[in-house]
Amino acid sequence: MDERWYQKAVFYEVLVRGFYDSNQDGTGDIRGLINKLDYIQWLGVDCIWLLPFYSSPLRDGGYDISDFYSVLPEYGNLEDVKELIEEAHKRGMYLISDLVMNHTSDQHPWFQESRQGADNPKSDWYVWGDDDQRWSEARIIFLDTERSNWTWDPVRQQYYWHRFFSHQPDLNYRNPEVREAMLDVMRFWLDLGLDGFRLDAVPYLYERDSTNGENLPETHQYLKDLRQAVDEEYEARVLLAEANQWPSDVVDYFGKGDECHMCFNFPLMPRMFMALRREQRYPITEILAETPRIPEGAQWAIFLRNHDELTLEMVTGEERDYMYEEYAHDPLMKLNLGIRRRLAPLLDNNLVAVQLFHALLFSFPGTPILYYGDEIAMGDNIFLGDRDGVRTPMQWTPDRNAGFSSADFARLYLPPLMDPVYGYQAVNVESQMRDPSSFVHWVRKMLQVRKLHPVFGVGEMEILSAENPSVLAYIREYGDDVVLCVNNLSRFAQPVQLNLNRFAGMTPIEMLGRVPFPKVGELPYLLTMGGHGFYWFQLVDSHE
Amino acid sequence: MSEIPVQAAELAEHLQHFLPRQRWFGHKGAPIERVDVSAVEILKADWPMLIRIEASAAVEDADPETYQMLIGLRSVADRLDFLEENSGSVLGEVSTPEGPAHAYDGLRDSELALAAFKELFPHLDPPELVRPVLAEQSNTLLIYDERLVFKMFRSLAEEVNLDLEVTEALGNVGFAHVAAPVGVWRSGGKDLGMVQPYLAGAVDGWAMALTSLRDMFGNEGDPALAGGDFAAEAERLGATTAEMHAALAEAFGTELGSPKAWAAAMEANLKRIDHAGIDREAASRVFQRMAALPDAGASIRVHGDLHLGQVMRTDTGWYVLDFGGEPSRPVEERRVFTSPFKDVAGMLRSLNYAAWTAMAEQEVHKEEVAREWDERNRGAFVDGYLRTARRLGGLLPDDESTVNLLLKAFELDRGIYEVGYEISHRPQWVDIPLAAIANLY
Repeated sequence: MDERWYQKAVFYEVLVRGFYDSNQDGTGDIRGLINKLDYIQWLGVDCIWLLPFYSSPLRDGGYDISDFYSVLPEYGNLEDVKELIEEAHKRGMYLISDLVMNHTSDQHPWFQESRQGADNPKSDWYVWGDDDQRWSEARIIFLDTERSNWTWDPVRQQYYWHRFFSHQPDLNYRNPEVREAMLDVMRFWLDLGLDGFRLDAVPYLYERDSTNGENLPETHQYLKDLRQAVDEEYEARVLLAEANQWPSDVVDYFGKGDECHMCFNFPLMPRMFMALRREQRYPITEILAETPRIPEGAQWAIFLRNHDELTLEMVTGEERDYMYEEYAHDPLMKLNLGIRRRLAPLLDNNLVAVQLFHALLFSFPGTPILYYGDEIAMGDNIFLGDRDGVRTPMQWTPDRNAGFSSADFARLYLPPLMDPVYGYQAVNVESQMRDPSSFVHWVRKMLQVRKLHPVFGVGEMEILSAENPSVLAYIREYGDDVVLCVNNLSRFAQPVQLNLNRFAGMTPIEMLGRVPFPKVGELPYLLTMGGHGFYWFQLVDSHE
Repeated sequence: MSEIPVQAAELAEHLQHFLPRQRWFGHKGAPIERVDVSAVEILKADWPMLIRIEASAAVEDADPETYQMLIGLRSVADRLDFLEENSGSVLGEVSTPEGPAHAYDGLRDSELALAAFKELFPHLDPPELVRPVLAEQSNTLLIYDERLVFKMFRSLAEEVNLDLEVTEALGNVGFAHVAAPVGVWRSGGKDLGMVQPYLAGAVDGWAMALTSLRDMFGNEGDPALAGGDFAAEAERLGATTAEMHAALAEAFGTELGSPKAWAAAMEANLKRIDHAGIDREAASRVFQRMAALPDAGASIRVHGDLHLGQVMRTDTGWYVLDFGGEPSRPVEERRVFTSPFKDVAGMLRSLNYAAWTAMAEQEVHKEEVAREWDERNRGAFVDGYLRTARRLGGLLPDDESTVNLLLKAFELDRGIYEVGYEISHRPQWVDIPLAAIANLY
């Protein structure tokens, strides 16, 4: 078994609720997902990431967990999850799930017990205080809804600490019982066969006086303890940290290769969007230059869209942030800030640009994570509110309810898209699978090519000089596996001359069609690029 | 030193035909009357050999000018594959004690270019790869290992190379936006060349501005909403320019601004340029108002020829290049302290040129777009400049209206100079500076 399978994998993020409804109740479920595993495998995905499926009052999309050991009844039960894991493994796919470490729902029995008073066994499992002034340095993350990180509990007659919503009290990690309890939660799911976790909101586990309560050393220590336990007790599992911070801070979550296996690279996507908008590569090359090296065996998780976004709140006051000035000058960018949209509408449904974005994602250092529906260039419904807008039902067929559910339309958890451009009659899996030139076939082809070249997952990256600022060219290199990627960020055709003299004598072979291009010589290598065009070339010795 | 393997006279004869073909040769068109090879030294004594020569070319009606060359020598039995595409780089056949040899521009021979680097900069790691920069005009540039650039000066008319002098000084005071030399080649009190870090992935400001303008002309509507907006870059460029001035002040000192002397130079410039489109009285009034200023800010060593083509965008921000000043002016004049607004005006004029030449190249008539782009970006550049200069202190006069007057006077002066330049070089462009100065009286 490859202990580092996650470095070369492609992930696919699934919202169980929105994927497929197997029991006609209007809500997607685990059995529905099992029914669709063949499709995910066909697409070329290596690992499925499930958003939280635990019991929850659902006041925060399931991130408010009320029981770590049971499945939300609408989704199914433990047996279903077991079967899902087995069926995924049968198809050679891995399965990881979200796990919220920082807090629970206020409905969780632990909290219900803790709030009963200062002398019950769980009294110390949450963070209680007599006043709401302590740790005022810690910022309030959900400024729209919360005024303080403390909320008064009328039952216990004390304040409790929460970094997110007031219905999500923070667990007290200074208590060894809590640390052990959460480790047991992980063991439970890993024993079932889950291949790892995406750890939600990890920077905030601990609090300490005179700090902002983020990225504290004790938080890192606890993550190291988790990693050690996972490594010792299990094989080939992965911990993916969600730390919405700067790459230079995020890199600490890899430790020395002894903390999390993977971390999200958050600033990359907005930079890609900015680069496309500016038609020049600097927003991207700057963030790549600022991204530190990571330990052997570690890997970035990169994405175009998911339900997490970089917001400017994350970077306020950071002089070094290029984006800050860019946003300040650009009304349209400001408008899009914090609005959760799918990729296709963000790029005005320009499919060539959508392809370019995927070509970048699949060739940048890191493990790409696709968001369900983006492989068919699905749209969104901004009138549903910013979270639900990108969580509409997966569009399987042009039939009733997008083929997602045969429940009555009115029973659906959210209406499927029905507009003439992105609606399910225009955009759906079935039609695209029948059409070999469709977007889903293109994505599949790209993933097939990617899979043949481990260099995309583990190779070094070297940005090439090009006098044309609209062209982003780089070499990925891993032993003999050398790939040249050239991308045109402009919507106009562009020429570019690349200095490839290090590869003089080699022949570039275009990787989608295996077409050999003229041999690299001593002189700059000239390419012409169509608007938003890209090339992937494998560089091979000419005599081969 | 080993014996020089070739006869100077033989080389001189070949140079008569070789020099006019070289981009860096200053007197193109005029017939060369005589070439004197004044100095020859050996850099590499075994085959293929490399020698350095200095040769002065006498041209009718002009002072002779001295040039430096590195000449490669290979036996005629060797095939010169690498010169096949560059026949212009071959001098011809010469006789050596070892028999007849090809003489050619040695920097075009990768083997010799690598050997030269090792010989001249022994303290730097020996590179493995070299490539020439083909676009360079007045000097010769070689890129080593995509990380260092070796600039060999061609004309040796001046002993001190101003670009080297300034970049070295700026590097010494810690100015981060310049490629400070890591190797200097001096001999007999003369600057012969330098090695700087190569700004990989850099793009010059002109190309960046054109990317923005191309997008702008391809769109309809407000430049603030267009994707290819340049304003944030222009603002950063303004900030970098101010940091450069503060560093120049630190490196070379500061004097009190002398608006009277500046105005006198501007009047002299105005007198030289003859065009009916210039309102001479109005221009003169602006200069005189500036001359009367009690406090005109600092007078410092400036870049002297700052425009979008002299700045490069890299992953770590803007870099400023080519501190040699306008090459047509004598060295002492280029070293004279003046107002930092001379550089600011140069960049503002360059932004204006970018907008209007891009419009012409696009073959569209969207004057409104060109104007809006120009205004938006000059505004952003000036904002970035003034904010940073105020923060750093020591450069600007306190009074805001004085700042505006200085800006206006220096931009007007630059525009008038451009009118003169366009009349004699590109008459079809003369309307660009004329239209700009009409807004400045």
